[in-house]
Amino acid sequence: MRDLFRFFFRQRNNLLFLALLGISLSLLIGGNMHQRAQAISSSNNAIGQIYLWRHDLTEFTDLRAVNQQLAQELAEERTLNHTSSTGKDSVALRVDSARKEAYKFINAQVINSTAHKERNYLTLDRGTLDGIHPDLGVVGMNGIVGIVRDASPHFSLVTSILGNEIEPSVVLSRTGHYGLLKWDTNDPATASMVDVAKYVPVHVGDPVVTRGGDHVFPAGFPVGTVIAVNDDPGSNFHGITIKLAEDLTRSGYVHIVFDLLGNERDSLEAKTALP
Amino acid sequence: MIATIRSNVLRFILLVLLQALVIDHIDLANGWVVPYIYVLFILLLPFDTPDWATLLLGFLMGMVMDMFSSTPGMHASACVVMAYARIWMLRALVPREGYDPGKRPIIQHMGLAWFTTYAGVLILVHHLWLFFVEVYRFDDFLSTFLRALMSAIATFILCLLSQALLSRDIRTR
Repeated sequence: MRDLFRFFFRQRNNLLFLALLGISLSLLIGGNMHQRAQAISSSNNAIGQIYLWRHDLTEFTDLRAVNQQLAQELAEERTLNHTSSTGKDSVALRVDSARKEAYKFINAQVINSTAHKERNYLTLDRGTLDGIHPDLGVVGMNGIVGIVRDASPHFSLVTSILGNEIEPSVVLSRTGHYGLLKWDTNDPATASMVDVAKYVPVHVGDPVVTRGGDHVFPAGFPVGTVIAVNDDPGSNFHGITIKLAEDLTRSGYVHIVFDLLGNERDSLEAKTALP
Repeated sequence: MIATIRSNVLRFILLVLLQALVIDHIDLANGWVVPYIYVLFILLLPFDTPDWATLLLGFLMGMVMDMFSSTPGMHASACVVMAYARIWMLRALVPREGYDPGKRPIIQHMGLAWFTTYAGVLILVHHLWLFFVEVYRFDDFLSTFLRALMSAIATFILCLLSQALLSRDIRTR
């Protein structure tokens, strides 16, 4: 027994090392799969507050770009309003309950983001008090951004599409063929679209949009455009590189998407799936 | 003793803020160079820090960085490995007459050659661990290795710069 204690005492530093390494590795493996390690993320309130201070300090450096973005959005909104009010069946659209609003967007500010790491995250200034919960989609002014992973009362953490954790379902809007968006280019401006069979005619310049139906992104939301098609003769699928529509290296304003009809569709599908 | 603790606590806070609020937001060479200057905290701990304290402080530093970058366990594991490596490095690099109690692991006290070996190896250990844990696979071995190597060089240069800029010993001597 004494020898055992002496052994532990002599090895105390090695044992401490192994214990600490074990703790961090279990966090590493468990933390990425569950929400368990919520405290160790930037949606944690104290860390969120520090990022908010930084954002308040640096915000003005982005103002020019943000202004331009807002002005352009305003212009687009006006165009849309103008066309729909002169359109013939705009009234019919409005009173038709079958066409009731399917998505709600709330705006949020990006207070921290990275784009050049292996997996990237964004911190937003909205949290559970605004109704944010994990698995909501996040879109930017020009294209999709990511999916909410965690939320605290005032902040939320978004998994960026620049990473290997999410692969949104996307579609080539010209031909209608599905595929997955995968970030394997290591470049924040581009990504790949995989699982598109070789017989599909893909051209450079084809727009890529979200497929929808995943409770996350609305269908037909812009993702990017095809800039290169490299076919490997040994594979049955195209190697498509797309330029992302949203510039994820710039923090600004984003919209969080609520799929209002998701539960209704879920229960319908669940009913049909029963034997 | 109190002054040593105070300056190390201050260094801890400053390095965390510098890393999380400034350096993490600078994109050098499209993600090929990502310096992690916060490891300087572990490098500059006093020679007479007990081994258990080095390990615990390394773990703490890693956990705080993990909170900022939302990567549970990634920086923590890298820092614990680096702290453990530091214990062995200090034993391997001990001068013939032992460590002088008045000296600290900085260039002015130990010389450029000593510091380059000490900091170079430890930074490389930390960065290699961190970058390989980050990608979680070995199939892009060469590119990950290059990224870790280039980032380690950048971190090392930042360490040298910080000592050149901040050391009082040069000016008073």
